[in-house]
Amino acid sequence: MSVLELRGLTVRYGHGSSAHQAVDGVDLTVAEGSIVGLVGESGSGKSTLGKAAVGLVAPSGGEILLDGADALRKRRRGERRPIQMVFQDPYSSLNPRMTIGEAIAEGMRGAGGRASRRAEVARLLDLVRLDPALAGRLPSDLSGGQRQRIAVARALAARPDVIIADEITSALDVSVQGALLNLVRELQRQLGLSLLFISHNLAVVRYVSDAIAVMRDGRIVEQGSTERLLAQPTDPYTRTLLESVPRFARVTEVPR
Amino acid sequence: MSSTAIDAPAADRFLSGPWPRFLGRRLLRLVVSLWVLVTFSFLIVHLVPGDPVRAALGSRASATSVAEWNARLGLNDPLLTQYADYVSGLFQGRLGESLQLRLPVDQVISERLPNTLQLVALAFLLCVLVAVPLGALLAIRTQNGRHRGSELGFTAGAVVLTTIPDFCLAVGLVALLGVSLELLPVAGDSGTSSLVIPVLALAVGPAAALARIVRVEMLGVLGQDYVRTARAKRLPPRRVYLRHALPNALTATLTVGGLILTSLIAGTVLVENVIAWPGLGPTLVRSIIAKDYPMVQGIVLVYGTLVLLVNLLVDVALALVDPRSTVRES
Amino acid sequence: MSATNLATPVVITPSRGRGRGLLRTLLGTPLGIAAVTSVAIVLLLALLAPVIWGDAADAYHTDALRQGPSAEHLAGTDSLGRDILLRVLVATRLSVGLALGATAIAVTLGLLLGTLPAVAGRRVGRFVAAAIDVAVAFPALLLAIFFAVIFGVGEVGTMVALGVAGGPWFARLTLTLSATVASRDFVAAARVNGVSRGRILLRHVLPNIGEPLAINATLGAALNLLAFAGLSFLGIGVQAPSYDWGRLLNEGLNGIYVNPWAAIAPGVAIVLAGLAFNLTGELAAQVIGRRTREKAPREPLPGPDDAPALPVIEHGGGDDERETLLDVRDLWVRFPSGGRWVAPVRGIDLRLHAGESVGVVGESGSGKSLTALAIAQLLQEPAAVAARTLRFDGHDLRDSSSRQTRAALADSLAMIFQDPMSSLNPAMRVGPQLAEVATAHHGASRRGALAQAVQQLSAVRIPDPERRARQYPHEFSGGMRQRAMIGIGLMGTPRLLIADEPTTALDVTVQRQVLELLSAVRAEADSALLLISHDIAVVAGMCERVVVMYAGVVVEDLPVAELLAGPRHPYTRALLAALPDMETPRERPLATIPGRPPAPAELTGGCPFAARCAVASDRCREQEPPLATLADTGAGHRVACWHPQAGAVGAADVKTETEAPR
Repeated sequence: MSVLELRGLTVRYGHGSSAHQAVDGVDLTVAEGSIVGLVGESGSGKSTLGKAAVGLVAPSGGEILLDGADALRKRRRGERRPIQMVFQDPYSSLNPRMTIGEAIAEGMRGAGGRASRRAEVARLLDLVRLDPALAGRLPSDLSGGQRQRIAVARALAARPDVIIADEITSALDVSVQGALLNLVRELQRQLGLSLLFISHNLAVVRYVSDAIAVMRDGRIVEQGSTERLLAQPTDPYTRTLLESVPRFARVTEVPR
Repeated sequence: MSSTAIDAPAADRFLSGPWPRFLGRRLLRLVVSLWVLVTFSFLIVHLVPGDPVRAALGSRASATSVAEWNARLGLNDPLLTQYADYVSGLFQGRLGESLQLRLPVDQVISERLPNTLQLVALAFLLCVLVAVPLGALLAIRTQNGRHRGSELGFTAGAVVLTTIPDFCLAVGLVALLGVSLELLPVAGDSGTSSLVIPVLALAVGPAAALARIVRVEMLGVLGQDYVRTARAKRLPPRRVYLRHALPNALTATLTVGGLILTSLIAGTVLVENVIAWPGLGPTLVRSIIAKDYPMVQGIVLVYGTLVLLVNLLVDVALALVDPRSTVRES
Repeated sequence: MSATNLATPVVITPSRGRGRGLLRTLLGTPLGIAAVTSVAIVLLLALLAPVIWGDAADAYHTDALRQGPSAEHLAGTDSLGRDILLRVLVATRLSVGLALGATAIAVTLGLLLGTLPAVAGRRVGRFVAAAIDVAVAFPALLLAIFFAVIFGVGEVGTMVALGVAGGPWFARLTLTLSATVASRDFVAAARVNGVSRGRILLRHVLPNIGEPLAINATLGAALNLLAFAGLSFLGIGVQAPSYDWGRLLNEGLNGIYVNPWAAIAPGVAIVLAGLAFNLTGELAAQVIGRRTREKAPREPLPGPDDAPALPVIEHGGGDDERETLLDVRDLWVRFPSGGRWVAPVRGIDLRLHAGESVGVVGESGSGKSLTALAIAQLLQEPAAVAARTLRFDGHDLRDSSSRQTRAALADSLAMIFQDPMSSLNPAMRVGPQLAEVATAHHGASRRGALAQAVQQLSAVRIPDPERRARQYPHEFSGGMRQRAMIGIGLMGTPRLLIADEPTTALDVTVQRQVLELLSAVRAEADSALLLISHDIAVVAGMCERVVVMYAGVVVEDLPVAELLAGPRHPYTRALLAALPDMETPRERPLATIPGRPPAPAELTGGCPFAARCAVASDRCREQEPPLATLADTGAGHRVACWHPQAGAVGAADVKTETEAPR
């Protein structure tokens, strides 16, 4: 169980007059064992924030803390990486020339022997409800939904405390999305993970998150518990966002 | 848009746009590249093993004449002084003196460069005039996998033609048109008819390569969403191809066109040697073999500068045709 | 290096999967066999020719100086009476060997330089990349001549010079290819896991760029072969008494009046050897570029191609008295795939009244977009479209070559596509993109058309339309581009708007604005709307009627009101249950549909949804149900199901087990 804290996080792209503040002084806490949803539209900086939290982009200011310690400190080779990420595009997130087993095993730490690695891969595949026999296959044999489960298994292989899930269902069809969301929620509870769930889809974020932060132009305009934020949004942008979600309730209003 | 009112003076709009920034960066790159080029050409004399003057004059030359030439070329000065002299000489149009011809290098170059440029320009023109329409027409004809025969024939022909090196083609043309049929002069520059063989030899391969690229680019563009939009507007096919597809295909082709133009410059070295054309090519080769380093330096500098200018031209043309590229650049 | 070939670098994006071995695939075609065999012959000659004919080629025949071809000397003799053909054969070793040596140097240097930025830090990487960019600007032949001056005239010096000159080019290629791979998420995932730069390079990057590099090395060998011949021809490369093809060509040219074959024979050798390497490289590039195209299969097309047209129904199904605007019956779209026809759209029936709004929903691969494009006559070969009836506004679209039909399509049918960025011409200002509709179809003057375009931009609520008309699409925001697309459609007088996922690429707030605009312009123009979307909520908010597609067929066609009251098809019901919305209870797991939609080639006969359906029976797996009205539904509600459900959508509508592995 771990807490992820972002304090005054700033990420700047470019330099000089063309510099662009993608993330601008963000304070955000993902409490122990909770799911925080981060919603925003394209260009709001939500993905950049996620990448900064796992060290894929260098912040130009602020702190990223894991249980109060610097989350991005230099780690020794073979040391556990406690923050992991699951990416948006399941067709880009797996190496086409590495078997499923190899891909998952790459994130493992400790557990030396080949047999124990293989057992661990099988356990992880089982955990994400896939046939352990898939370990020897290449990603090209798998559907989008299955690939995304592999990506989850790979993240879990590192035995992380925190997972950043960046738009993990937006490349999937509705009928596949539900199963993945269920799986993520279940695993999060079972393993006591802290999860930062990034998505543009407010309905999906609402469904999985304990708390929601709304991001716009690099800043968090509003955050709070899911119930509170949806019931009583205070920021005008949050309200616009909520009103824009297409709802079935409108069905009766429109047709002529 | 000439038909709508222009609210801001053109100059203002230009200055506020991405252009000044783009041109600034591009000119800076040109200056840096030129400096690298000048430095390299300066270093030629110093990178060759042994005494370059001794090498040029041969082993029978007397020690005094070697020393005299060394002094005359300033090769005894400290390296930095020589470099400064070399660069300042360039600014005054001085390129040193040929060891072999005993003539100022700039004089030789200014006599011969126009002949080379003539070949390059004509070959490039021919290449573009043939390749662009041919490639575009074939793309239209073979789109969506139609007319596989034409496609196969064209591709095979193009591969063969691109494989024939320009100097071999020149030799072949000389053997056929010059020697066997006696239609054209075999060597030298004796008027317009002398141009046929070198220009053809230079242009055929690049034209085949360019036509292939135009076809591939055009095919790619024909599959784009905006071409579908144009078809959804039910525009006449001619307008879809000429107004929507071709300009976008040429944007991508321009870069390659620049490469072809620069390699045409290199190609003249060989072809000019085949037909003893009074351009820079034969002089360069003779100077290399005779180890006439000042001459080599000068010609390398000229070829290099030409290449850099072509690259600049292509980038500017690209920026004019593709409004996005100035933005990308900065 | 031949001026020509330099211009055709083959940059192939790294392949996605591990297919069959490249060489094996290559040997699967006659042309591939020919290419590989010819390379083998060239290499064999290089190995053996000097051993077999080495001495004979140096033998002087003083009785036959500078002779033309004869039975004894097939290509004649040179000035010392040596046999030219034998010399050409023997020269293979030096010509090919030196070219391969130069290529090896170039590739090694290129790999070292090109991977340096990935291994060393960002600063070093930037510098190396910039240096490579400068070097690549110069033609390799010029660089080679420059280096030959420094390394000295002669075969070794020239080989090194050629190799060094080719280095930057291969470095550039390596950089480009690795950048493509490095931008993919699996490399990011490895970085998150603390995998070292070296290991990322070895495990993730290099395996994915190996094939394109090998192919370019083959093409590079061809280039070097020609280039080396050129340099030797100039007298810079191989020096007497050694000889390669270039030298022989040079010597032959001197005696071209006496025996042209002395020049032609080595020339032909150069071209043939170059061709062998080039052809192999080109074919291999086609194989991994997956540029093989599907041939039209010989088997008969599935579908209604020869069926008689159905009689025109002026007032199609339901109790709607409005005029029938679009009448589609038994619409098929077929593609060749692996020597067979597959049909992603299999017999769609669809009718729209004037002014009606109909939504088509379905998951990716359901055939909804293809249906829209087929109706709009925008599908091209190799797609084969056929229908028993395809009428729009009184015109038979199956005969779209007729002038009236084209005019009707131009004026009365407007299309809006998914991605407004790629759907507008990037090299053309926005104003003219609208205006050309008026100039092409209404004979408007340029000035008049442009004024009309500006007016239309203002009608689709684009602020400052005069300035915007002069801008390029990339200067517009996503929402504004889609407004411009709608504006293009409104340049005519559309009776039908077909919008194919018009808001999928947009943010929700923008989506709402665009949908509102779409509703407004539709109301104003009194046109019908065919809205294709994967988002059932969007469709429900915009349309009167919903058509649900699955695996290429319509499974349900119902009024929107009944979507809430209770659709009858299990797929529609499962789709609704699985979609999280702002009211979904958060404490319960989401309803899911097991498995995935079948690919067109996997269809076996029965109901395509049977494998994922909670109520499927044996009949479902054997017989495909027709789309028909049910006894207890109105004429406006059709279902294709043997076991139609009833009542409000609930948890019982979905299987609860999780996705089974394949």
